[in-house]
Amino acid sequence: MLSLKGRLSWSLTFSLVLLLSLQWLVVSYAINKLSEDQLSKRLQHEGESLLASAQFNASNQLEIDPQRLSAIYQRPFSGHYYVVITGNQRLISRSLWDTDLNIKNLAKDEQKLLYSKGPEAQSLLIVATGYQKQGQAISIAVAENLGPLKASIEHFQLIYAAISLLGLIILLAIQRLIIQHALLPLKIIQSDIAKLERGEANQITSKGPVEIAPLITELNHLLQSIQQKSKRSRESLGNLAHALKTKLTLLNQTAERSEIEGLPQIRESIYAATNSLDQIIERELKRARLMGDIRPMQQIDLKTEIAQLTHTLRMIYKTKIVNITWEVIEGTKFNGDGEDLMEILGNLLDNACKWCKRNVSLTVTGGDAPIFVIEDDGPGCPVHELNALTQRGFRADESVAGSGLGLAIVYDIANSYGANLSFSRSAALGGLRVEIRFTPRKLFT
Amino acid sequence: MRLLLVEDDATLGPQLQAGLQRAGYATDIATDGIEAEIQGKLEPYDLVILDLGLPKRNGLEILANWRSAQVATPVIILTARGGWQDKVTGFNTGADDYISKPFQIEELLARISAVLKRSTGNTVETLHTAHFKLNEQTQTVIFNHGEQCNLTNIEFRLLRYFMLHSGHILSKSVLTEHIYEYDEDKDSNVIEVYVNRLRQKIGSHLIQTRRGQGYVFGVAS
Repeated sequence: MLSLKGRLSWSLTFSLVLLLSLQWLVVSYAINKLSEDQLSKRLQHEGESLLASAQFNASNQLEIDPQRLSAIYQRPFSGHYYVVITGNQRLISRSLWDTDLNIKNLAKDEQKLLYSKGPEAQSLLIVATGYQKQGQAISIAVAENLGPLKASIEHFQLIYAAISLLGLIILLAIQRLIIQHALLPLKIIQSDIAKLERGEANQITSKGPVEIAPLITELNHLLQSIQQKSKRSRESLGNLAHALKTKLTLLNQTAERSEIEGLPQIRESIYAATNSLDQIIERELKRARLMGDIRPMQQIDLKTEIAQLTHTLRMIYKTKIVNITWEVIEGTKFNGDGEDLMEILGNLLDNACKWCKRNVSLTVTGGDAPIFVIEDDGPGCPVHELNALTQRGFRADESVAGSGLGLAIVYDIANSYGANLSFSRSAALGGLRVEIRFTPRKLFT
Repeated sequence: MRLLLVEDDATLGPQLQAGLQRAGYATDIATDGIEAEIQGKLEPYDLVILDLGLPKRNGLEILANWRSAQVATPVIILTARGGWQDKVTGFNTGADDYISKPFQIEELLARISAVLKRSTGNTVETLHTAHFKLNEQTQTVIFNHGEQCNLTNIEFRLLRYFMLHSGHILSKSVLTEHIYEYDEDKDSNVIEVYVNRLRQKIGSHLIQTRRGQGYVFGVAS
């Protein structure tokens, strides 16, 4: 999933690079063109002054007055050259030394702009023009080495590129800061949602920018209504259980009336009926509570909860001396509903207390994905029977008295959390070992 | 033994009360939370049976208020929700035992008897002396030589109270308070009559009179 930040950064970087490269290209082209135009114009003027300094002598030979010639045409391979052609006479500048330029006769007023290789691999710009002087056709070509000009243009391009690159880097850095600043509210919302997931808050507190404020309002509204609904449904389930079970107790009381004293079968069948109704109510109400997974997620203080639970078990098993030891490894966290955890541990520890000779132990490890291990030193139980019971599922109407209901409830709750319940023989204590493995809670990162 | 039964169901409450009375407990009934809390604070009950789902005030709240007001009367909680959270909260608030609805009266009586024995410091299963045992189910005295003797309801209440508080001086007014219900006609002189009848049945040396103070059970003179 591409992040908003990545998207913004990439598109901004791309457009900046494109813009700066285009600018560089345009500027380089313009500089090149302008300076070559300038140069060719100068060469033409040079040709014209050469024409002015050339004279036909008495023998009709063309002569150039060396006084009027620039010294640069005298120095060999100076980079400035000329060739003057008239009839079959060909005058070349001294600077060309023993080389020549590939120039032919031109008609009057004809002008040519040529790029050509000159002496010493110089790249030359040649401007050749045809003239008429004293009734004779003269072609004059003036050339200049482009090398120094090219070199200074390249130097300019390099500096310009360096400045552009520096500008790009600075702009990208500024742009990054801007994006970070603009996305700051989202970052806060993200951490709010993580808090929500961990059960440290039950609403998103930050308001966020205008664009997503309605979303947050809607989400808060939804959260509140879920919390209220879950509270209401818990209350009404509680009330229903209370009312139904009070009436079942009443039915038991009716069975205990003196009129039925002599009819033990009737009494027993009423007891059996109320007992099975009780189990059905208990199981189904607990299932209903688990359905839809709309329970509030909280981080549970494991040590306090377990201490309270073991205190309760010691009160219940007052007549039997049960030694309950428990340990919570530092850093172990359980995120979920406290009531669910109580129900799981209560039922399993109760079962362990019921069957143990003397010792029951509870160990909690596993960090973010807690593992609860409950062991006892009782006679144990055929493991396949327990596994079969939980795998097959449990139906209240086929239940036999004992731990069946409690275990089935544990199985339901564990299932709703995606936790894994397994039974084995305890190596440490010799009795039954029950292990519940929770999967880590997925948090938004 | 005098009990307070807190139960709001109009049919179940009186039926349970009758059952408890048959079992020899002077039983008062309260049907709402506020009334129950006041009654529990004022009257010297030996035990309270407290339903958690009550109108006006929640059972756990009542229990918490009693405990913070130093009312140490043993409390058995009646819960309709068999959840462990409720049990844990109940015991943590200061309950002595709990029983889930629906229950059978025998179960409740067994819990009451166990809690009463614990709260009076008796660790034995059945109440007994050197000469006889008290059968709480049949409300009879069984002597060591096998002979049995039936007790009337009031005699049974009186004898059980004596046996649970063996060695203590019990005044006539204390006995009256713990044997009769709130609205019963209490004439402390009647206690003398019942004590004399008990002496005839179990032997006069077991209950001694301390002039101006009351009676002591089970101390050799």
